[in-house]
Parts: sequence; structure tokens; C-alpha cells
Amino acid sequence: MNENVKSCAFPQDPTAVPYVYQDDPYLIPTSTVESRSFLLAKKSGENAAKFIINSHPKYFQKDVAEPHIPCLMPESFEPQIEDVSEAALRERIRLRKVKASVGLFDQLLQAGTTVSLETTNSLLDLLCYYGDQEPPADYPFQQTEHMENLEEATEESNQTSKMKTIPWKTQNNAERVFALMPEKNAHSYCTMIRGMVKHRAYAQALNLYTELLNNRLRADVYTFNALIEAKMFMPDEKFEDKWNNILDLLKHMVAQKVKPNLQTFNAMLKSLRKFYLLGRLPALQTLREMKHIGIEPSLATYHHIIHLFYHRANAIKTPSLIIYDIMQELEGRTFSPQDLDDDKFFQSAMNVCSSLRDLELAYQVHRLLNTGDNRKLIGSDLQLNFYYSKFFSLICSMEQIDVTLKWYKDLIPSVFFPHSQTLIGLLQALDVANRLEMVPQIWKDSKEYGHTFRDALRQEILMLMARDKHPPELQVAFADCAADIKSTYESQDARQTALDWPANSLQYIAVLFLRGGRTQEAWKMLALFKKHNKIPRSELLEEFMDTAKASESPALAIEVVKLASAFSLPVCERLAQRIMTDFTVDEKQKEALGNLTASNNSSDGDSDSDSDISEDKRK
Amino acid sequence: MAASASVRGLGWRVLACSWELPCTWRALHTSAVCAKNRAARVRVAKGDKPVSYEEAHAPHHIAHRKGWLSLHTGNLDGEDHAAERTVEDVFLRKFMLGTFPGCLADQIVLKRRANQVDICALVLRQLPAHKFYFLVGYSETLLSHFYKCPVRLHLQTVPSKVVYKYI
Repeated sequence: MNENVKSCAFPQDPTAVPYVYQDDPYLIPTSTVESRSFLLAKKSGENAAKFIINSHPKYFQKDVAEPHIPCLMPESFEPQIEDVSEAALRERIRLRKVKASVGLFDQLLQAGTTVSLETTNSLLDLLCYYGDQEPPADYPFQQTEHMENLEEATEESNQTSKMKTIPWKTQNNAERVFALMPEKNAHSYCTMIRGMVKHRAYAQALNLYTELLNNRLRADVYTFNALIEAKMFMPDEKFEDKWNNILDLLKHMVAQKVKPNLQTFNAMLKSLRKFYLLGRLPALQTLREMKHIGIEPSLATYHHIIHLFYHRANAIKTPSLIIYDIMQELEGRTFSPQDLDDDKFFQSAMNVCSSLRDLELAYQVHRLLNTGDNRKLIGSDLQLNFYYSKFFSLICSMEQIDVTLKWYKDLIPSVFFPHSQTLIGLLQALDVANRLEMVPQIWKDSKEYGHTFRDALRQEILMLMARDKHPPELQVAFADCAADIKSTYESQDARQTALDWPANSLQYIAVLFLRGGRTQEAWKMLALFKKHNKIPRSELLEEFMDTAKASESPALAIEVVKLASAFSLPVCERLAQRIMTDFTVDEKQKEALGNLTASNNSSDGDSDSDSDISEDKRK
Repeated sequence: MAASASVRGLGWRVLACSWELPCTWRALHTSAVCAKNRAARVRVAKGDKPVSYEEAHAPHHIAHRKGWLSLHTGNLDGEDHAAERTVEDVFLRKFMLGTFPGCLADQIVLKRRANQVDICALVLRQLPAHKFYFLVGYSETLLSHFYKCPVRLHLQTVPSKVVYKYI
């Protein structure tokens, strides 16, 4: 089963980057941030070139291409026709100049010329689409007058994204033009309604719709889709009323003989999402109606349904089984983009698989992603990362380790860059499967993906390596890895003052050095403990004692005890006793030992056994 | 070309004569001297001048020890527009030299395939990677619009200029 999945899953080369990047190690991105910034830089270079081409068109006019390639010629954004006429108005509408076309329209009306219905309708289209604002500029340095408009607009839209809709102002230019029109046809009303709904003026849209009905005109299917959305956003109504209103709208559609399309049903489902549990039954009814009419549901439809049935709060107690039906239905089908929300399906499906902890279902979803061209519907970089992070985390937690490692090699880094949490999941999977020898390799990979300074990841790696004793070659490899991690801490220390080395890390690094045979460096680690005000645990000191015993040097052992007393650890005296039993110490050292334990006891302030005091008395 | 040089050299009298008898015109060629035994050869210095493989070999080693810097079919038998390709090459080399200031490690290689132009450049790691991408996007778009054909840039980075020998 898994072999089938693997064979069809990756038609692309797992060792190559996507072709948009230059194929060179210096120029290949190593993290999501870098990949995004490179693509943005390339795009901004293209914009700079287009700016130069459009500002000096006379150098780019020579046309040697046979046949003519229009997209490689310079474009002009200035209107050519200067006089006050309808043709000039049409040109400005074509060039998307909102304020200029409104100004010209006013001039034409003042001059007394009548503007034809189609031109006024196209002016209304322009105004309603852009909500009476200038269109967001692809070339923001294009015109000087645009710069001033842009400054006003940026104050409003600072927190919002480029195409975020500005709320519809009453009595703006669109409404004014609409009022000035001597005759209005259905198209005018429809445009106005759609513009109002787009810019969140729902009550006005519904009022305009009643006016349209009063004038005995018929709306088109796009207007009805907009009206469904408007009905849903009306405040202060219960679900029953809203749902009945929407059903009324559908009855109007039938009466006006307008056929619903895919977007109608998707709009209904999207509106039903706001009602969580109450919306489930109507959603299924909508789906059945859709199939009955013969409209093929798109991925957005299924996305809305999944969202409705698997919203976070409800999924905990008895999760619905509808996802299995959905996946069975979608098996082997290819989709093309038909709705704006199509690209959200795969994320929500994988999210559900992850919350249900079902690996087979996840493989099914992944198979669907790889049929035909469905890969194009995965969405933006962020969505792709989300999908694959969830997928890989599920694989790590539920699949055998060999298969997991094969997926790791195939997916990372050619398809996505993992978060540090994903890598921690992978490490835990290795731990469960007892394959800790891969840990240094994972650390090396993590450094490449930009996780060199992630503290949680470093501690996890150190903890896994230091927890148990391993055969000697492995210990040496672990010690090298620990040295590498230590150097990252040091470089971080150099860059930011007063970095707090976590106690656990110091502990683990020291243990790993000891076990790997690097005793000198381990002793240096003990000095670091003092420097960063962290206290070593007693197991660490016991291990130091073991190494001192192995190397048969009492001086080292006494060093350990000195350190223990410096930290005022209770284990100090046990260590001292061990020295007495295991080592052959001479008088001076015994005396020093005695002093140390005595000072430790006195500083502790606890009444200890007579043996120490008697030892003292002997000297 | 020759006419304009000679006009500069010989003054007004010549200009007056040329309108009367154009067919008996004798001109003096006075362009800059370009001796063919000094073309594309780096002169030997004291042993401290680093040269790349490309520079170290003279033009008579082309097709023996080195390849061509510009590959197109204009010079084949029965094919046209070799001169246009050469003029384009000169422009492209100057353009690349200016757009990637101080970054080019060696001469760029131009490959023409169907109607595309592939510019293969060896660059030093002088700029951070996102600046390279900016310049790549800029050059590709500008050159495509200029020549009305797809122009693609392939960069390969090296840490420093690759030295073949010191002469």
C-alpha cells in the first residue's frame, strides 16, 4: 500500500529546487523566509525593468519578432485622446483611471452631451469594482498624481492588505452617477448591487434589489450570488429567519428563470459555515440539490463542508465520519480551479486527518493531491508548508521509522522547509524506534534549514543523546555533535551579551564530552557552570568521579570534591567518602579533603555524622 | 567609416571635391591599429599575474583547447544574420558588465537556441543572494523586451576568480 503511494507521489526530482531559483548552492534558498524573499526580489527586479521600459518606450519600439509579440512591447498608461468626448471617457475607463473618468463624465454632462447607456454602465462597473478608489498600483512610481492618492490611501489601508475592500461610502461617485442616469437597465442595477455587497453595504444592496423588483427587471446569477452573501451578513437575525430569507431568494431565482451556478451553492455553503451545528443539515440538503440539478461540486464546496463538520470545538467528542465519504467520492478525480476557495481544500482535509490521527486517510488525501494536475490547487507557499507539516508530523508519529525516513529524504528540503517542531517530532519518532544514531545527521540538516539557534531543538537533541550510554563509536559521534552545538551557543554568546545558557544544555554537553573521551573539554564545561551561575546535578559529578577513577588520578577526584563544595551540594560528602574508599590518598590530600567536607558541613549548617568530625579531630 | 575618418583628417577641400567626382575617390584608412597577433592574448608579466583558463589561451586554441564564448548558427554555410548576432553579443556583454558591477569572474557565454538567448555568467559572491535575484529579474525582463525574444540568465557563483596559472 505504501509502496503504491510512493511510486506515484513524486514525479519531481527530490534533489532539485523549483526552476524559478538559480541552480547554485549560494543562490538556493535554505528556509521559507529566504525562498520568499528571493522570489520577491526577482519580481521587484522585473517591476524595475518594466518601469524603465515604460518610461522610455522609444528604445523598445523596434519589432523584429515574427509574429508580433504584444507582451514584449512597452505599454502606455497615459490616455491619448485629450478632448472631452465619449471616446475619451471609454479610453480612461479601459485604462482604469477612476477619478479621471468620473471627472470626464461630469464634464460631459455639464457640456450637455448625453452619454450612452453602455458607456455609463461600463463607468458604473469600474466604480463599483474599485469602490470609488484608485486601483492598487502595480507600478506605484508610475504617475505623480497617483502618488498623492496613494499617500491618502495608505493611511487607511496600512493594516490591511492590498486588495482589502474599503467600506462603501454613501453618496459616493457610483451612487451619484447612478442617480444621474436618465434610464437604467438591469445591468446597472446588478452592477450597483454587486459593488455594494463587495464593499460591505449590505442593507443598501437589499434595498436596491427591491427597487429592481419594483421596476420589473431581472437580475443575473452573479447578482443573486451577491445577494445571498448580503442576506447572511444582515445583523440581528436568527438562523431560521436568515435561512428562510435565502430560500426566498432562491424562489425568486426560479421565478425569474435564472439558473444557479456553482458559485451560488458555494456562497450558500460559505454562509452556512457561520452557524456551526445548525448549518449541517441545510448544508447536506444544499449538496443534494446541487447534484440533483447537475452542477459538479468543486473543491471549495467540499472545503466548506469539511469546515462545517470539523470545526475545532465540535470535533472533540464524536467526530463526524463525513470525511471518509468525501474522500471516497473524490478518489481519482482531477480538478481545475473554478472557485476562489478551491485552494483551501487540501489544507482543511489534512488538518482533519491530523486531528483524527488517521494515516490511511492522509495517504488518500496525498494521493488525490498527486492525481493529474491537482498539485496546482495546493495554494500559496504558506498553505503548502502547513499541509506538508501536518502530513509529515502525522507520518512521524504513526508510521514505521524506515518509511518515515524515506519520506523525510523525499520531502525535505525539496518540497518544504520544516519547522523546528516538525524536526522535534521526527527526533521523538527516532527515539521510539531506537535509531538514535541518526541524531547527529538530523542536527546537521537542521543547521541547513536555519534552525541553528532554536533552543528547544538543541535541548531535545542533547537530551536524546545524553540520556543513555551507547557503544563507543556512537559516543564519539555524539561528542562531536555536542561540540558543534556548544560552538553555536558560543557564537550566539558573542553576538548578544548576557546570553543565558540553559542548565540542561550545559549538563548534557558535559556528560557527552565525558562519555566521548574528551575529558579536557569536559573540565572546561565545569568552569562554564560557574560562569553562568548554573548548578550541575549530582549524577554529573558522579560521572566525573568515575572518569577520575578510570584515569587513576586522585588529584582530579579532589578537584571534583572542591567543585562540589563550591556549589554547596549535598553529594559532596558522598564523593569524599568514595575517594577514601576507591583511591590511595596521601596525608596532604586527606587533610584537604577533610577541610572541604568540614567547610561544606558548616556552611550547610546541618549536624552530620560523627565520622566527619572524628576525621577532623584526627588531623 | 573610411570616408568619415578621412574627412576628419583632410579637411574642407576634400569635402568640396567629393560632391563632384564620387567614383574616383581614394581614401586613407585611419582607424585604430588592431594587430591580429595581439588579439585576445594576455601579455606575459613577471609571474605574478593570475589568468583564468579562458584568458591564458590564445585564439588559435579555439576548438583545440577552448570553446567559443558565443554560440549561434549565423556562421554556418547558407545561414544569415551573423553580423546582427555579433552586434547583439557586444551589447549583451557591455550590459552584463555594467549590471553586475565587479561581480563577473570571467567572460560571459552566450548560447542561442531556437529564438531564446541563454546568458551563462560566472559571478563572484560579492552581493547577497537576494540582490542577485533582483538583478536577474531586471536583466531578463529588460533584455527580453529589447530583443523581443526570451532571454534567460544562468548564474554560477564562485568564491573568487578561478586562476589557471600565473604568468
